[in-house]
Amino acid sequence: MTGVDERAGWRRLDQIEPGHCGIVRDAGEGDVDQLKSLGVCLGRKVMLVQAGDPLIVKVMGTRLGVSARLAARVLVEPCGGDAFGGRG
Amino acid sequence: MPGSGATVEKIASGRESEILIALIGNPNAGKTTLFNALTGLRAKTANFPGTTVERRIGHTRLAGRRVKLLDLPGLYSVTGATQEERLARDALLGEIPGHPRPDLVLLLVDATSLERNLYLASQVLELGLPVVVALNMMDLAEQAAIEVDAERLSAELGCPVVPIVARSNRGLDDLRHRLEIAVHRPWKPTPLAAVPPAEECEGCPFKARFDWAEEVGVRCSAGRSPSQGERTDRIDRLLTHPSVGVAAFLGVMFAVFALIFWVAQYPMDWIDRGFAGAGAALGAWMPDGFVKSLMVEGILGGVGGVLVFLPQICILFFFLSLLEDTGYLARAAFVMDRLMRRVGLPGKAFVPMISAHACAIPAIMSTRVIEDRRDRLVTMLVLPLFSCSARIPVYAILTALLFPNRPLLAGLIFTGAYSLGIAAALGMALVFKRTILPGETRPLVLELPSYRLPSFKTALLTMWDRARIFVRRAGSIILAVSIVLWALASFPRSEPPAAAHAALEQAAELERAGDEVAAAELAMEAQDLVSQHALANSYAGRLGHLIEPVLAPLGFDWQIGVGILSSFAAREVIVSTLAVVYGVGESGADAESRSLFETLQRAERSDGTRVFTTATSASLLIFYVLAMQCLSTQAITRRETGGWKWPLVQLGYMSALAYVCSLVTFQLLRAVGVA
Repeated sequence: MTGVDERAGWRRLDQIEPGHCGIVRDAGEGDVDQLKSLGVCLGRKVMLVQAGDPLIVKVMGTRLGVSARLAARVLVEPCGGDAFGGRG
Repeated sequence: MPGSGATVEKIASGRESEILIALIGNPNAGKTTLFNALTGLRAKTANFPGTTVERRIGHTRLAGRRVKLLDLPGLYSVTGATQEERLARDALLGEIPGHPRPDLVLLLVDATSLERNLYLASQVLELGLPVVVALNMMDLAEQAAIEVDAERLSAELGCPVVPIVARSNRGLDDLRHRLEIAVHRPWKPTPLAAVPPAEECEGCPFKARFDWAEEVGVRCSAGRSPSQGERTDRIDRLLTHPSVGVAAFLGVMFAVFALIFWVAQYPMDWIDRGFAGAGAALGAWMPDGFVKSLMVEGILGGVGGVLVFLPQICILFFFLSLLEDTGYLARAAFVMDRLMRRVGLPGKAFVPMISAHACAIPAIMSTRVIEDRRDRLVTMLVLPLFSCSARIPVYAILTALLFPNRPLLAGLIFTGAYSLGIAAALGMALVFKRTILPGETRPLVLELPSYRLPSFKTALLTMWDRARIFVRRAGSIILAVSIVLWALASFPRSEPPAAAHAALEQAAELERAGDEVAAAELAMEAQDLVSQHALANSYAGRLGHLIEPVLAPLGFDWQIGVGILSSFAAREVIVSTLAVVYGVGESGADAESRSLFETLQRAERSDGTRVFTTATSASLLIFYVLAMQCLSTQAITRRETGGWKWPLVQLGYMSALAYVCSLVTFQLLRAVGVA
């Protein structure tokens, strides 16, 4: 965490509430690229369906099982509520 | 001359102008179903040379020309992050030796998740090959009230787009027609202007592509139903639950295995009886001698002993394919991931591990679902440690020798043998992950597709494909091994012992005296003596004597040594070998196991002590749990890893492990006075 103000509201993908969603603002390199090619990449809307390790996220209508270690490297800006179904 | 047009065309096109079409698409987009629908039974599964990545090649005809369809692995992108992606990319660019550049790409797109699929589409379209898009799962899209405008999509992508339902063959004629047109008039595709080059976007090549995919998706589809996937979510709340999900998975696997063992016993019985019957018929028809012995004992006996596992393999792959098709296997891998990670393996390794309890061969073939090469190799290395069904007859006889007339204790030991196999496999997996194949397990990223009804056709074709690999690869090795083992046990020929001569003469006298029953009995005894003597003096017997000093510290004599050598055809062969070397005669193997059990119980060493003491039986049991004694498994490991290195590692570590554990067991038991 760099502590830049802009990032104040950002959360790690594995730490948002189940049923809530967020817009991806930052994602690491390497293994995370696997997630990116499935849609968990900058600007996409992601919902946490089930917390835990591994956890389940939903992106562009697809459910993904993701290890928490990987999800922890994705930062999202919470978009509040559980309204998912729009196109982001 | 009728048909001359086709002939002329064939001559004009020749073999070299065979059209190559590459099929590519996301996993779960229905690629296998489409491939099967286009090529039928004529497909061949093989690996890319020198890799563990599988490809399938099938043939079909389009507009009178021979077409080779190359099925690439299911992928989400072709950027080259993984070996599969690199191979797929190289195959599309024609950069793999022996693989020409495809003339055409058939790109499969799932209409129910257009945007995600368009990501791969954008990369494939950039490669500069003519592309035909098959828009699959139109029925599911309709059910979910998603309208996809194929014409609009075609305009956006600059290539033909054909809506299809691969599973029910809907739209396939249209697809073939479009492919025919494309084959006749290939075109140079126009680059997608909409996707900006990677370097122009803000540090994320993924973002630009997904932005493009989303825009195209919005323009070409409408009316996503908010309820889409709700049913799947509801089922998933149970099946992916950390504890309920694991229990459900164990329940499903238990049901599948109960079914496998129950259903398979009938065809296994038929195969067994078929081979026995064929052997008997051939034996009665052929004159006694070398050729008859080779045919009946060497070839029919050896091949039959392995082919008997074919029903289990078929049924296992049939059910695994059904489970995969419903989307359930992804959930199983998901819930098992956390548990498997403790031994450094991904959740996907669990299904092969369960399968290994039927037979290591299909288990090793099913490790193809594990993407990471190291994870896959470790899984393949430890799979033969799980107790396969060929060990059951061996465990049965040894537990009976350990605890005669005490079924409860025998049952406990039986369970213990299985547990030992599981513990050894998981322990060795951990060891390999820390030593020769180090590296963190690739973190889980797994699509959990919507649940749907499975396709029986796909399951049958998968079963057929796997059965063919088993029969071809294992079958040819087994044939060779059977012949070698037969030769070792049959040569050099030795003169029947004097005792057998005497018994035969006595039998002849009895027959003259009219006592035919006693004569037959005596003749059989003489036959036993001859077999025993022949085996003892054969190369196998000599090898047994040769390795006896090595095996003696484990409590084994040369006869057990012969049994262990013969097990390399299939483990359960030791039972019939021991029957011969300890002198039940060849008929004893088929007769009641009670007689075999009694013979083994009575068997004595030259110094008059019992052979199968508690210490020796326990040591042999542990040896059979841990030792690598199956050449068919080795052949499959070689095929899947593309060389002899890994099968040799497998053989080496398992033999060492078995030897040390048996040694410790025998010496400990003897030291504490259990003999």
